[in-house]
Parts: sequence; C-alpha cells; structure tokens
Amino acid sequence: MSSKENMLYVHPVPVRLWHWINASGFIVLIGTGFQIRYAESIHLMSLNHAITLHNYIGLIVVANYFIWLGFYFSTGKIRIYVPDFPRLIPQIITQVRYYGYGIFKGDPNPHAMTSQNKFNPLQQQAYLAIMIFILPAQIITGIFLWRIAGYEEYINLLGGIKIIDTVHVLLFFFFISFIIVHCYLSTLGSSMLAHFKAMVTGYEEHH
Amino acid sequence: MKSMSTVTRYMEACLLAACTLSFSQALALENSECMECHSDETLTKESTDNILQMELTKSLYVDEAAFNRSVHNANGITCVDCHADIEELNWDDDLPHAATLQPVQCVMCHEESAVEFKESVHMAMRTKGITMTCYACHGYHSVKQMASASVSERMDYVCLKCHNPYQSHDWLPSKEAHFANVDCVVCHSPEAPRHTHLRFFDLAGSTYYQTDSLMEKIGVKAKDFMATVDTDKDGAVNRDEFDDLMLRLKLKNIRTVLHAELVAAIDASAHGIVKQGAQKECSQCHCSNSSYFKAVNFVFTDPDGGLVHHEVDRSVLESYYVSHFYLLGGTRIKLLDKIGLIIVACGALVVLGHITIRVLTVPWRRKHSADSE
Repeated sequence: MSSKENMLYVHPVPVRLWHWINASGFIVLIGTGFQIRYAESIHLMSLNHAITLHNYIGLIVVANYFIWLGFYFSTGKIRIYVPDFPRLIPQIITQVRYYGYGIFKGDPNPHAMTSQNKFNPLQQQAYLAIMIFILPAQIITGIFLWRIAGYEEYINLLGGIKIIDTVHVLLFFFFISFIIVHCYLSTLGSSMLAHFKAMVTGYEEHH
Repeated sequence: MKSMSTVTRYMEACLLAACTLSFSQALALENSECMECHSDETLTKESTDNILQMELTKSLYVDEAAFNRSVHNANGITCVDCHADIEELNWDDDLPHAATLQPVQCVMCHEESAVEFKESVHMAMRTKGITMTCYACHGYHSVKQMASASVSERMDYVCLKCHNPYQSHDWLPSKEAHFANVDCVVCHSPEAPRHTHLRFFDLAGSTYYQTDSLMEKIGVKAKDFMATVDTDKDGAVNRDEFDDLMLRLKLKNIRTVLHAELVAAIDASAHGIVKQGAQKECSQCHCSNSSYFKAVNFVFTDPDGGLVHHEVDRSVLESYYVSHFYLLGGTRIKLLDKIGLIIVACGALVVLGHITIRVLTVPWRRKHSADSE
C-alpha cells in the first residue's frame, strides 16, 4: 500500500469525469462506427439503430469536449499542455530513449510527475494535437455527416461529402490505434494498474 | 457501345405504332384544329373534381408550347389519339364536339403500367372514395419525358403535388440527403429497376453540362463518346478508363465533378407504388454489395429529349470526382479500409513489439537491478 505522503492529486473531478465519459463514448462510437461502415459483415444491431446511437453518443462526446475545454481554460490549467519550447526537443529525445531503450534496461522514467506538470513531453504533444486539432476535426466532420443537407454549403466548400467522410474515417482508425497504445502506456505506471486507479481516485503514486 | 437510347427509341416506335393502330378509327384531325379553341386561356367549363369531389371551374386551355415539349408529342401522339371519341369536328355548331368527352383511356397504350397501378397504394385509395387518375400525377397535356429528369424534377413534377415527405419519414436518418438524392420510387416501388445516374457538373458555371457543350469541349461527337472512353471495348467504363477521362478533361481545363442520383427506371413497374412494403431496411442500400448500385450510368440527354445511358462500373462511385454522393457503407472507398487497417495494425504492432521486448529483456533488467544494488 502506498502511504498518503506518496500520493499526488493529479486528476481533478472534472478531468476524471470528462475522461471516463470520453472513454465510454469512444468505445460506443467505435462499435457503432464499425457497424455503420461494415453493415454487410457486422450484425450487432440494425443500421438505423447504429446510426441513431452513433449520433446521440457523438453529441454527448461533443458536449463533453466542452467540459474539458471549459475546465482547462477557466482554471488556467491548460498550461500543462503548453510545452517548455527551449527544452522540448531534448526532453522528447530523452523520453523516446526511455521508451525505446531505458525501460527495457530498468531505468526510471525521466519524467517526474507533479500536479503542475503531469504529462511527459510525448504525452503533452500528443494530447495537445488531439485535443486542439484531431478531436475537433473529428467533431466537425461528424456534425457535417449528421446533418449533411444543413451543412451542405460548408461541406461543398471543403470539397464535398466524400472528403468529409474520408477525414472522419481516417481519424476513426487513428483513434482506434490511439486507444490501443494509450491503454498499453497506461499499464506502464509504478504498477500495471497504477495509472488506471489514478484516473478513478485522482491520486497518482509518486516516488 | 451499350446504349439505352436504341432501346428507348425502339420502345417509342412500338408505342407510336400501337397507338396509331389502336386509334386508326380516329379521323386525321390536326392538332391545330383543336387549338383554334383550346389556345384561348379563358375557355372553361364547370365540372366535378374526382379527388376533391366538388364542383370546379375547369380550364380547357391547352398550352400548345408545353404540349409540343411533351413526351406524347415527341412520339407523334395527337389530340384525337387520346380524345378518341372525337371523330369529327362540326364547325357549324357552337361546340364542335360533344360537351362531355369520355375520360381519356391511358391504359389503351400504357397497359403494363395499368397492371402495376392496380396493385398500388394509389389504387387502394379507391376504397376510401378517392379516385387517383393518371393525370393527377402526370398532368394532362404536358406529360414530361421523365427518364432524364433529376430526383428533384421527378419529385416536384409528381410526388410533391400531394405528399410532404417530411411528414411521414420520421424513422429515416438524414431525410434531406435522402430526398435530395434518391427518387421516391426507388424505395416505394421495390421491384422497379434502379439506376445510379452520373451527370457532369460544371464547377465553373455551377450547372450541369449540356451534352453538346461537354462533347464539344472534349472534342468528340456524342455518338463517339463511348468508343473514345471505353478503351478496352467491354461496353462499360471501368475505374481506370474513368480516371483517364477525368485526366483528359483536366488537361483541357474542363473543371467538372460528377453528381450522382439514385433513380428508378421510368417503366411500368414505377407505377406499382406501395406504402406498406416500401424499402425501410437501411442495410439494403448501405452495404458494399448492395444491389441498388449494380446499374451505374453516365446520363446524357439527346437534343430531342431522349436519354442516353452509358454503362459505368460501380467502382467509379468510389472516385473523389463523384464528390457529392456518398452512402455510408454503400459506396465506401475501399482504399480507406486498407489504410485504416495499416493505421490500427501499426498501433497494435507497436504495443505487441514493446511487450515482446520487455519480456525478452527481463533477464537484462534483473542483471541491471542486481548490479545497481
């Protein structure tokens, strides 16, 4: 058991709430996404139900995105996503060296987590790109696909429905890949379940 | 070259011959004789409307220009071919023919359509005391050639006269997109043959290309179009041939994309409209092997209003040049599935590779840990 002194409060309630709503939303979106795209091979539910469920859950994930955005910007905590630019490249190299070499040797993680600096530079860059560019792109293309006729003007401006769908589908595959890697990296804490527990309790063990 | 125009013209010729024979008893009255009175816009009569069941003042005016554009005029059908009970015009009387004419018997020429109609929901309305006539949908004298009509033209001209589709399709996701791109008959007459019509859209002019102007820009005659495009001479434009065509258009500075629509063939089966039994199973369309996209055609309109279909392989629907037509699952781009598989496999392989190396390097870590202590 870890003593309380060793525990660091890193995930406030809104962040944990956002994270788990997002996680469950993504699972359902991916499941229904497969059903919609491969209706001839997958028969989990009718296509009509899959589309309806995909739309509703998509709207929840969109609303949830604004919880994240509101929390991080209103509290100023968004700065945890802003890199320390002069040291960014060496930090990234150090972190890549750790995952690609040091971890096999048993070296400690070069990133020491604090409540003000909870992401290692790779996490920071990945999450920043996802939350500021990739997820919004998925949300916007999803909304366009939800109301094709209503957003026809914007869709045409961007090159037509096929372009919009292509972006949505490629990001769909990206998010599947991301979740696989994300779940694996979550097992690389002080114990296999340490990061998972932290995202439930808010407290991360630190040494 | 597989072309529907020959078939269409053959059918038209048969129809004309049949009608001519059927009405051989009709005197050779010229349309111009009828138009002497019926070109008067104020010409009216009092009559009972079959649908509304009320007395109405009915115009007897015939828009000659509209009639001249009609499918009947295009096939040589004259006024008295349909109004067959007019055998002669007596110009000495105030009214040169009987005051009340027999209803026009469309079935005399359109027998198969009538058979289909008898099984339709429109026929079933008679049990409610409402009689749907042919002209309720098709109009009287300006019956259009609908084969080349777009979805919106078909809907405006026929279905929307009575129906508001937004009131009865609550179950249907993306209603607007369906109504804009799918002919009502496609779902409401499930037995009707279906085509996906591909039309060249002029991006510079924001309008559909007229056949003549497109051919002129390409530099071929309309009759030679397929011979030029279908290089392997198999009668259909495959994906490579399509890409070549689009490249040629690009080289000639012709900025075009293709707009697609799913329409029913205009034949007898289009009259078998059903309500119960209409296609409501989304996966019939929205799957990659859907039969709804077996017949894909370039559509060109002849100067005389005839329609020319050129067969196209359905894989063309995956092209980004068909940028405004996409059905979830139905016309999905297979290349994206392969790219997606690579993206997901990369993620999974990174994880599996990392786990494997961690397992294999356990002794190394133990040694390193022991050395540190």
